[in-house]
Amino acid sequence: MDNTIACQACDLLVNLESMRPGQRASCPRCGYRLTRLRPDAVERLMAYSIAALVALVFACLFPFLSFASSGVESVMTLPQTPGSLWRNGLPLVAILVAAFIIAIPALVLVSLLLLSVPLARGRFRPWLKPIGRWLFHLQSWAMVEVFIIGVIVSLVKIAKMATVTLGLSFWSYVAFAILFTFAIGVLDRYQLWNAIEAAEKETAS
Amino acid sequence: MSEPAEARTARDLNLASCRTCCKLVPADQHRCPRCGSVVHLRETDSLQRTIALLITASILYIPANVYPIMYTDQFGRTEASTIIGGVVLLIKLGSVPVAAVIFVASVLVPLGKLIAMFYLVWTVERHSPLEPRQRTVMYQVMEFIGKWSMVDVFVVAILVALVNLGGLLVIRPGIAALSFAGVVIVTMIAAESFDSRLIWDEMDNKNGNRPA
Repeated sequence: MDNTIACQACDLLVNLESMRPGQRASCPRCGYRLTRLRPDAVERLMAYSIAALVALVFACLFPFLSFASSGVESVMTLPQTPGSLWRNGLPLVAILVAAFIIAIPALVLVSLLLLSVPLARGRFRPWLKPIGRWLFHLQSWAMVEVFIIGVIVSLVKIAKMATVTLGLSFWSYVAFAILFTFAIGVLDRYQLWNAIEAAEKETAS
Repeated sequence: MSEPAEARTARDLNLASCRTCCKLVPADQHRCPRCGSVVHLRETDSLQRTIALLITASILYIPANVYPIMYTDQFGRTEASTIIGGVVLLIKLGSVPVAAVIFVASVLVPLGKLIAMFYLVWTVERHSPLEPRQRTVMYQVMEFIGKWSMVDVFVVAILVALVNLGGLLVIRPGIAALSFAGVVIVTMIAAESFDSRLIWDEMDNKNGNRPA
């Protein structure tokens, strides 16, 4: 049964023996995308995660947006977004926003690095399994692309009130969001766990 | 399509598919030997948990729309705006595309998701005019669009952080931001609790493949 997978959406058994590198497999009954066999998946994960982390650090350091009206200017940085909610009496919303746009994506990227660096060399490490278990739960709570849309909507809402300037951090965050989406796009539950299992067997023998 | 009564699903062979790592595990085992997660043939109490969360989200949806999501202080005057009020204001400002984005993300998606999820739970144990495949796609769409409703909460967060010009112009968040974030989070957990394999079980049972 080693090459057989049960569709996560409808439980149909699908044999993946004839899969070739680069191919995707979908469930013949419900259409759910089962897996994609990418020989360079681990290297891609590593590259996208490093690049995305660098972009995220830049996004946190510089002005994100600035807003000027009648000679008064206010500058906003990314960490200030949850910060102002906190000061305005909504600490819970502040924590959620910080988690969805910064903390959870950062944790996902660090997790991806902790997985992909040992796996790229076929090494097993004791943290691979715990991280592999909670990574997918964590990943569904990252909302970087939603935040970008939020920025665009905000810009339109206040464009008529004053002059709004996009800062360096805004563009860093856009780059981060694109790289993060690429990284998540490479992530594949079935292939990742096959790689972890293979690394474990190799290290044990 | 006439199917012979043969083993086609993991359940037919009494195998539980691990939700974490996709390994097929004999259903009498409690934990997956590969990743160590707890395994079940189907998620336990999936429908009850989903319904409970959907009801919670429906209740939270009321304060999310009744109370202001943000306040604008300008020239000593305070103006409160609700989610719908924000959409109306955007149309008045002439930004119809953005009004449409907010309307879809904040009104259509949460309401549509609640209705669709109630429908999916309701039809699992009953006859549905929709094919299982259509309902599976419906479920996957609901799972995908859930987080997009957070747009309005993010907009409030950005405006509050950005628009702070002392006595001239200040934007403050309203309590509806909390309720609305609650609606989004609880519906996301509801979608995750729903086990879409249940949609197919009824049909598989009819085909006479029910395991002993």
